[in-house]
Formats: sequence, C-alpha cells, structure tokens
Amino acid sequence: MPDELDPVIHAPARLRVVASLAALGHGDEVAFPKLRKLLDMTAGNLSTHLRKLEDAGYVRVTKTHEGRMPATYLALTETGRTAFADYQAALMDLLKGAQG
Amino acid sequence: MTDDNPAGERAPAGGGPEAVPDGGLSPAETLRMIQRQQEAARDATEPDGRLLFGVWGLAWLIGYLAMWTTARDTGSPEGWAGWVLAGCIVGAMAFTIVHSVSRTAGTRGASARIGAMYGWTWFLGFTTFGVLIGAMGDAGAPSEVIAIAANGVACLIVGIMYIAGGLLFEENRMSAVGAWMLVTACLAAFAGMPNTYLVMAVAGGGGFLVMAVVEQGIRARRRSPRVTGRTPGGGRDA
Repeated sequence: MPDELDPVIHAPARLRVVASLAALGHGDEVAFPKLRKLLDMTAGNLSTHLRKLEDAGYVRVTKTHEGRMPATYLALTETGRTAFADYQAALMDLLKGAQG
Repeated sequence: MTDDNPAGERAPAGGGPEAVPDGGLSPAETLRMIQRQQEAARDATEPDGRLLFGVWGLAWLIGYLAMWTTARDTGSPEGWAGWVLAGCIVGAMAFTIVHSVSRTAGTRGASARIGAMYGWTWFLGFTTFGVLIGAMGDAGAPSEVIAIAANGVACLIVGIMYIAGGLLFEENRMSAVGAWMLVTACLAAFAGMPNTYLVMAVAGGGGFLVMAVVEQGIRARRRSPRVTGRTPGGGRDA
C-alpha cells in the first residue's frame, strides 16, 4: 500500500538523505560537502532533493560564512523527524502485515 | 562508487504515480537500507568509541606492564619503561585527537559543542595531573609516594570523566566502568610498589578494553530494528 507511505521521503535518494540527517543528534547540522560525500551523490542531484525536502518543511538549510567561504549546513526539522518516524512505523506495519 | 546511485538518479521523477514501488525494495529491504545508511552517517560524523577505548586500553596495558616488569626486580621502574609509558600515552592522545577531529569535521550543533568541551576537559584534567605530580617531585616526595599519587589520580580523573560521560551521553554502562576505575584507584593505592603497576595495567587498561566491548554492544543494539522506531524524547529506562 504505497499510498500510506510519505511520497516525499519514499523516493530512495531522499530516503537516504533523511535517514542520514536523522542519525544526527537533535539540533545538529552537517555541512553540504560532507553530506554529499557520505551519500556519494553529485552536488546537483543532492541540491534537487534537498530543495524538495526543504519545500516540504522537512529539512532546514542554513547558509553562512566560515571566514570568507560560504558554507551550507543541513538539518532535519522537527516536522522532518516526525515524518521519518511515521514513515518507519508505516514500513514496520507493512512488514508485520506481510508476515501475518 | 555507483552502487545504489542509479536508483537515486531516477528518484526526482518520484513522488508521482503510486504505481512505481521504490525500485522494487520490499519494506524489510527498505528498513535494512535505512539502518545501513544511518550507520554510515554515524561513522562519518561520530568518533568510534571502540577504537578510542581500545587504543587507550592497549596504551595502559603495554605502558604499565613495562613499568611493572622492570619494577619487579629493582623495586622501582627503569627509565626506559617510563619512556614506553609516556610514548603509549602520547600516541593514544594523538590518535584520539586526529580521529575525533576528522570524524566530527563538517558538523556543528549541540553534539559537536559538548564533544569538544568533553575532549578539552580530558586535556585540562591530565595537564593539571602532570603539573601536580611534577610539583610533588620538586617538593621531594619519595618515588613510592609519587607512584601512588600518579596512579591513583590518573584513575580518579578517568573514573570521574567516564561517569560524567555516562550522564552526558545517557549511557549507564559508561558510568559503571567509571565507577570501576575509581575502585582501581583504591586498589592501585594499596597494592604496594611493583604491584600497583600491575593493577594499573590489568584493572585500568582492562577497564578501557571493557568499554570497547560495551561500545560494540551499543552498536549492535542500535542495529536492531526495534530501536529505529524510537519515539521522540523517549526515555527507554523504564
């Protein structure tokens, strides 16, 4: 029943982005290049997915400067954390349904 | 390089027609993929406790065994054994700093702040330790007294830092090992001249190595699917 699963998170690439950000502690952020390397995505591809997640209110994008260099930090919002928890719960329900 | 990117490249079109089921992944496979990804994310952003505790355990074990074996014959350790111990400690410190800094680079927030403060507290604690022991030597304290103070205070600092770490990172087993290090401080103080070093090597170094095993247990527990469905703010110690 895919209609139970959040379509914003359900796309595999975005699921990997959200899962990675959810592994950080509450209030923690990761720099764009570090996340890109972790996910092994191209910068353009990752940016596209991050924009979708930001539009959904799941990801907070913070642009800042470190010295003179611009830097972008990413974190899951509380809404994003809840959505991810719900998504995992829905998967577990599907799993139980398949086993039962 | 391109292991699961093809699926990712296709995804931008997703969110659309309900018919396309996530590249053929079953719910079980998707949950496993989430766990693998989160493990990779933690490996990329957090120091590996198993490595840190393992390195410190070996440093204490090797260093204090050198002190003990040479002190057994003459009553006090040979100079070269002191250098072995110092080398082990400096090596473990260098490894800890390089490993922690490289793992946490590119992250910021509460965890990074707390982790940095915790690391600096270790450094300040043992710098003070060195000054105190040096001052005791300058004041003419006999070598046996210095040995008791050096071994006891080293375990005292480690014990209290572990208990504090257990509270910070909500890991009771870390606090328990901290309490064990305080027991080690007392044992080492009363063990007498050569054997105080054996206590440091086995009970002290062993304490670190036990922590490495505890960390392994924590990882295994995280990997169990039950944990991934954790509730926000959930206290699990009921």
